[in-house]
Amino acid sequence: MDDIASREEVVFWHFWGGKDRDVVDDVVKRFNASQDKYFVRAIAMPGNNLDTKLFLSIAGGDPPDLVNQDDPIVADWAYRGIITPFDEFVDATELKRVNQTLFPAAQKLGQFDGQTFAVANGLDIRALIYNKSFLAERNLTAPQTLEQFDQVCKQISPPGNEPRDFYAYLPDSRRLWTWGFVHGGRFLSGDDVQLNDASIVAALRWMKQFSAWYGPDQIAAFRRGDQSLPGKTFPLLPVNDQDQHGRYIFTLAGQWNTRDVVDFINRRKQKQLPHPEFGVCPLPVPAGGRQHAGWVNGNIFVIPRGAKSKTGAWEFIKFWIGETNANDAARTCAAGGWIPVSRQVVAEPYFQKFLADNPLFRRYVELAQSENQFTYPMVPGATFFVRKVNAMTEKVFLQPNAPVEPEIDATRQLIQNQISRIRQQYRKDLP
Amino acid sequence: MTERRQKFANLGPGLCFASPWVVGFVLLIVFPFLASLYWSFCQYDMVNPPRLVGTENYQRLFRELKTGEGFGKAVFNTAYFAVFSVPLSIALGLILAKFLSWKIRGQAIYRTIFFLPSIIPVVAASILWIWLLDPQDGMINYLLSFIGLGQQNWLNQSREAISVDNVKQIGQSIQTGGPLRVFGSKDGLVLISLWGVGNWIVIYLAALRDVPHHLYEAADIEGLGGLRKFWHITIPMLSPVIFFNLVMGLIKSVQTFTSIYIISEGTGAPNESLLVISLHLFVSAFSDLDMGYASAIAWLMFLGLAICTVLLFRTSRYWVHYRAGSV
Repeated sequence: MDDIASREEVVFWHFWGGKDRDVVDDVVKRFNASQDKYFVRAIAMPGNNLDTKLFLSIAGGDPPDLVNQDDPIVADWAYRGIITPFDEFVDATELKRVNQTLFPAAQKLGQFDGQTFAVANGLDIRALIYNKSFLAERNLTAPQTLEQFDQVCKQISPPGNEPRDFYAYLPDSRRLWTWGFVHGGRFLSGDDVQLNDASIVAALRWMKQFSAWYGPDQIAAFRRGDQSLPGKTFPLLPVNDQDQHGRYIFTLAGQWNTRDVVDFINRRKQKQLPHPEFGVCPLPVPAGGRQHAGWVNGNIFVIPRGAKSKTGAWEFIKFWIGETNANDAARTCAAGGWIPVSRQVVAEPYFQKFLADNPLFRRYVELAQSENQFTYPMVPGATFFVRKVNAMTEKVFLQPNAPVEPEIDATRQLIQNQISRIRQQYRKDLP
Repeated sequence: MTERRQKFANLGPGLCFASPWVVGFVLLIVFPFLASLYWSFCQYDMVNPPRLVGTENYQRLFRELKTGEGFGKAVFNTAYFAVFSVPLSIALGLILAKFLSWKIRGQAIYRTIFFLPSIIPVVAASILWIWLLDPQDGMINYLLSFIGLGQQNWLNQSREAISVDNVKQIGQSIQTGGPLRVFGSKDGLVLISLWGVGNWIVIYLAALRDVPHHLYEAADIEGLGGLRKFWHITIPMLSPVIFFNLVMGLIKSVQTFTSIYIISEGTGAPNESLLVISLHLFVSAFSDLDMGYASAIAWLMFLGLAICTVLLFRTSRYWVHYRAGSV
């Protein structure tokens, strides 16, 4: 205890609960055991109120030293001075070296205005998880191009407005981000909102075609059914023992869903029942699109303004991401089923063994290394940006009369105004 | 000691005893109330000091009211909800209270059953309603299927039952023989609001006991039937209570937040059709970090409610009947 009392305390707020919290507690324990200078005190705040508490703590002059976040807040918080750039207190050479070890997607998650405001500690990548056995029975294979994907979808679920038990694939209105990047689009250039980019429009039109094929009402009703599955079952998986497919044959899903697939297969094996095989493939690409592309987010570390132990927080960050001990970080990522943010952790033998045992997860780790994984726009007002794009996509997708271009133009203008307003409000020359 | 000095001597202890409430009221009600008025004229993100921007936030709100975006959309959604949920709650509460006032075996049990939903936490009730209104497996659609309306998309489509577009679509469906889809997310919300009608029933039941029996006797002598007695005696005699419920219901409907937050996962989805004023305020303040704008929303909401309440009071003289001797 004396030893701990003499160390500098690093207060760390995070939102992890359940099994993930055990992994986090273990990282903290190992860090504390490795230290004689700093002591990390982790405080779990599951739920949605971490942000509000953080603002109150900053306003009250007693913020934590380190916060984990997973929302697109970096640009907003950086612009408003809520978080501290690492460039202010970390040696430039060291910061550059750490940034260079990160995958491009992980780097993008932390950069704003030429400075590092966040360090990613785990990546969330999207790909298509599909029912391989179902396709094989019909002499079909995983599509590589969007054209092939359309054909496969129509072959499995021919267009028609009748109720169904399953669909080949249905786009989710929150995924214009993913398909927009796959089509080769960019949502922002500087401060200029690029929703009217031809590739984004093409992505939206491609999503809308599913609505034309199957009817918006049927899609809306079917999608709601996904949330009613017992125990929030991953909808790709069969619910009943006698079924060999779930509600979809393809789903655009994150790497965490591979755990659901593995658990499902193990359950079937325990019951000595046959189980379908599943596969993971990159998102199929249209002509002129980007290979191995997608929308990436992840968990990021930020240091609030007024944090007392910034250097202690930085030491903990380096420990977590494997900068000081890659093997330790490899064990953490394997335990949590998280995608590491750096090459050196992936290269660790322990993690390579983990990947060999988890081939579905391996595909996600391969995609994480792609240059074509993009984040939400790094701009003040990003949360507004994301919300409005999602709402617009939902409207265009689920309302047959909603025209694409006017909706895009209206939303683009709305977001542009919001960005301009924030820029204007925080002009440095104002009192 | 004179009486006056005695009064002053008692003031100190009196204030001390009242201080927990007074201090709480000043700190938790009066201060935030006045602070939000100040912030509504500021750019304020909760972390940096507020900076005065004049009427900029209010100008933005009025612009949005004109364009129908943001606050304009929230006002429309709230108005739709209030316009349908309040009258329906009043009518349903009144009818159920009338039935529950009948002296029949098990009356107390029936009354308890109708009141039970009111004591279920909003979060639990909201999740329950998400299940009930499930388009594929929900009980409401199952029941509606007996009258050919079993394919409503309730909470996951932004259709409004009472709208020009919807009437056209229904007309097309009838012509083509397609499935009749009438209700959307806001209608689902109105339906959910009826769940809490038990509170109103209690008030109506108390008021029903207060209706002078001799009025019904006189009506019997005149040969009035049950419906006419209800219309000409019960409703006028209950009008002060109906008026009270109307005002309180209006305020409550405009302030509804928790159930909408849960149902729409905090976004007002689908397609911002559930983005009511209170949710728009919350998102603006805590997601967009625009506390100044959010405070202006709160003040416009307050003023709007105050004006509606005054208008209701003005109209009350034409339809609310107070008995002689009562207030």
